[in-house]
Amino acid sequence: MGSRFTAIAAATVLVLGMTAACGSGGSSSDAGSGTIRVMVYGDATNKVEKQIVETFNKTSKVKVVLDTVPGADYQQKLQTVINTPQAPDVFFNWGGGSIQPFVKADLLLPLDDFIAQDPGLKSNFLPSVFNSAVVDGKPYGVPMRGTQPVLLFHNKKVLADAGLTPPKTWDELVAAAKALKAKGVTPIALGGADRWPTLMWFEYLYDRIAGPGLFQRAVGGDQSAWAGEDSRRALSTLRELVDTGAFGSNFDSVKFTDGGSPALVAKGKAAFELMGSWYYSTQQDGNPEFAKSGLGYTGFPTVNGGKGDPADVVGNTNNFYSVVKKTKHPEAAAAFLKLMYSEEFVKAQLAVGNLPTTVNTGDFLDTSASPAYSKYQYELVKAAPSFQLSWDQAYPPSASTPLQTAVQQFFDGKLDADGFIKAMQALPGS
Amino acid sequence: MTRQRPNYVAGLGSLVWLGLVGLPLYVLLLATVRTRADYSTEGPLSLPAEWTVQNYLTDLSNGFGQDFLNTLAVTAAVVAIVLLVVPPLAYAIVRARGRATGWVFRLFLLGLAIPAQAVIVPMFYLISKAGLYDHLIGVILPTAAFCLPVCTLVLTGAMRDISPELYEAMAMDGASPARVFRQLVLPLSKGGLSSIVVFAALQAWNGFLFPLILTQSDSTKVVTLGLYEFQTEHGVDVPGLLSAVVLSTLPVFVVYLFARRALVQGLTGVGGK
Amino acid sequence: MTSVPKSGAGVIRPGFVWAAPAALFFLLFAIVPLLLVAVLSFTHWDGISEPRFNGLDNWTALVHDPVMIQSVWITLLLTVLGVATQTPVSILLGVWAAGHQRNRAVLSAIYFVPLLLSATAVSLVWRAVLDPNFGVPSQLTWLFGDGNLLGSQSGAIAVLTFVGVWQFTPLHALIYQGGARAIPQVLYQAAAIDGAGTVRQFFHITLPQLRNTVITSTVLMVAGGLTTFDTVLILTQGGPGTDTTVSAFHMYQKAFKSFDFGAGSAIALVLVVIATLISLAVVRLSGYDRMRGTTEGL
Repeated sequence: MGSRFTAIAAATVLVLGMTAACGSGGSSSDAGSGTIRVMVYGDATNKVEKQIVETFNKTSKVKVVLDTVPGADYQQKLQTVINTPQAPDVFFNWGGGSIQPFVKADLLLPLDDFIAQDPGLKSNFLPSVFNSAVVDGKPYGVPMRGTQPVLLFHNKKVLADAGLTPPKTWDELVAAAKALKAKGVTPIALGGADRWPTLMWFEYLYDRIAGPGLFQRAVGGDQSAWAGEDSRRALSTLRELVDTGAFGSNFDSVKFTDGGSPALVAKGKAAFELMGSWYYSTQQDGNPEFAKSGLGYTGFPTVNGGKGDPADVVGNTNNFYSVVKKTKHPEAAAAFLKLMYSEEFVKAQLAVGNLPTTVNTGDFLDTSASPAYSKYQYELVKAAPSFQLSWDQAYPPSASTPLQTAVQQFFDGKLDADGFIKAMQALPGS
Repeated sequence: MTRQRPNYVAGLGSLVWLGLVGLPLYVLLLATVRTRADYSTEGPLSLPAEWTVQNYLTDLSNGFGQDFLNTLAVTAAVVAIVLLVVPPLAYAIVRARGRATGWVFRLFLLGLAIPAQAVIVPMFYLISKAGLYDHLIGVILPTAAFCLPVCTLVLTGAMRDISPELYEAMAMDGASPARVFRQLVLPLSKGGLSSIVVFAALQAWNGFLFPLILTQSDSTKVVTLGLYEFQTEHGVDVPGLLSAVVLSTLPVFVVYLFARRALVQGLTGVGGK
Repeated sequence: MTSVPKSGAGVIRPGFVWAAPAALFFLLFAIVPLLLVAVLSFTHWDGISEPRFNGLDNWTALVHDPVMIQSVWITLLLTVLGVATQTPVSILLGVWAAGHQRNRAVLSAIYFVPLLLSATAVSLVWRAVLDPNFGVPSQLTWLFGDGNLLGSQSGAIAVLTFVGVWQFTPLHALIYQGGARAIPQVLYQAAAIDGAGTVRQFFHITLPQLRNTVITSTVLMVAGGLTTFDTVLILTQGGPGTDTTVSAFHMYQKAFKSFDFGAGSAIALVLVVIATLISLAVVRLSGYDRMRGTTEGL
């Protein structure tokens, strides 16, 4: 029975294979010799990747072919091709948990040898960023876009109208929320339907109250971390904020990704929004006038009696290029990675509003699209004792759905603290 | 033929329905001819302050044309496969007396309700093993396969309506099955054939799950996927997105205008009694 | 495989070879995957390494997966709501469209436009239309309140049901139109002579005569409802929380988001079993197995 089934499956594959041979189309046909394929997340900032590839191809014998994979399903597509003949040589990722399954399956090339030949591949990057692509003590990625710390944005005019200043402490934030609510403004815009914006509130509060250690232990497999007193305090603090109506009543119908929540802030219907640093360009794109003069930003408030350093940040440390072990041209890949700390790269990233994480970035901040904003972020990241990678990126991809679901349900009131802790403890760990 | 009394209840229902269909279509069409700023400040129900076709032009220059060609290729190929294998099958089902053919018919009846979602995981496995992942052909084959049950059912229905005397008359002339098929069966089941063409074309044109799972590149993207990924790729732009929706429906709409009867028959084939 | 045409009773009949290409094609792309899904449901497979047999692990996990159990209930709920809402609307619309007045032809051309849109397009349009801040609710606050439609379970289920009505009613109305046109006019003429009004005619003639059509249409609605996927993916992402996570979407998440293809296959197999039962019901109830013509009456 078993062998018969295998035979049928094999026959199917054979027939499919033959049709494939005469089939056409598709960019992922055999790359042939003399090229390496680089797969990146397709979005509006791809022009930098394209420019760098062009620069590389001018001098290199081995040519780089860039594959942009559009869509929120990048991780899915990556996972499904990485161990097939169509696998790219070099690919975009978020470091941390996003590459961990590949490391475990022994698909990735540790970059130790590259670094031994060119120490600059490590020393030219901010350590807190470089380290988030270190798995089991070995480096697997080189930063290749900008860092994206999460900041608390606000509408300057709305705050001024309510006689408020940007909050420095949690208590000030709660007080501001109450005052704004009384004025009929939604205090905090939240794209709850996307789920990950909600998660940012957990990431910061856990850091401020418990310090970065709690999550590090939890993601490392110590489930008791979630049940501790600090964890409960973070949850009850968050619960209070939600219960005061700080996020309004319809946040789970609102999305960030379709421009909903940013428009609320830009139009003065809401005062604050907690979001990654890309928020600035989001507003520039959708509401240019507001981005120029009305948009304010601060770090996340401190929490009284919290163990975390108020200078800690959370967010996407950066995106990374990792190299597949099977690549036929490791030297070419290494040469390509070296461009990620070149002057041209830094300038091109700054020009599109990204903030690269090379040590020399500071020298070029004046060339950025918005120098003041870039400088603020760069100093913030450089000075941060801890830069916590977003939880859903720190865990392996399989944890993402249950994590985001639990986060949303806690905000909805469907899960209480106990329920949330249980859900966190049940996450598939590393 | 016309009924004497008007049916007020149904008439009222039809008016309510007109509102329900009309509202989103009104929002959809208006949104495509206004600017982004206008859409978010004026709201979707108001008339645009200024009219523009820029949304459509932007979509077309953003690679929507390529998506269009891909979808066209998939649709043409699916229709070709269906036309190649279904008519002989339907002919055999109607005319053959063998036990094997009966089993095939039962197999297809059973296949009628196999949801595509249920086989998407193994389909992904087979397609990627065969090296067809991210090739249009990898979308075409399963899409065509999942059209077969309905098309077979529709076409056997049409062929069954051919009177047995005609078959007998041709048999008297000593015609081979191939000749019967060519000279009798095909010409007399034109209605059924156009129905299955339309059905298969619609399935292919509007298909979403197979492309979602089985392709990834810009060069293999079909229109439904282009719509789904619109936001990630081109940022937030509701009018642009809705223009793309309209563009994606345009060919189907043209067919609807010119071949309404075949379209309706193709659509209801599955449900026709 | 015999390929020689068999001749019986002097009539030359086509042999199995005529059916073979389609049968083979269908076998490869529908039946083989169907068998493979059963095998994969007993494996652990993350999409990276090869599938590895893990016995009943996926099935025991599935039985204890609260989201799976909930998803079955939500799927059934959406299916029942779909049938309950789509059927009356479709019957009314179908019976109305069965008339032959000129304006009906024009109006029904507009009515059936939703039929032309892909599920993707339908979902995207409604997502934009129902946006609480920039969609219709922002302009009709007396009707929608704060517009928290997709953010609450009842709201999200109501939206999915409503979009289902919008999307699928035209198809079912067409089916009923065919059914209604096949009702012999003499029945109405006789009833009119007896003095029966339109409403009575509808309940005493039209509805009873449409019985078979109702069965066919209902079975189709059930089959469609049980496999709801595109609208959930685009409109609600299964949320808020897991409140609209239907089984097909749960399968997609397990397989293609959490990369547990074995668990996804187990869910898929549950879908297949349900679908097969329905298919058998189609065959039983509709009389397809008696091989009647399918397009007559349209």
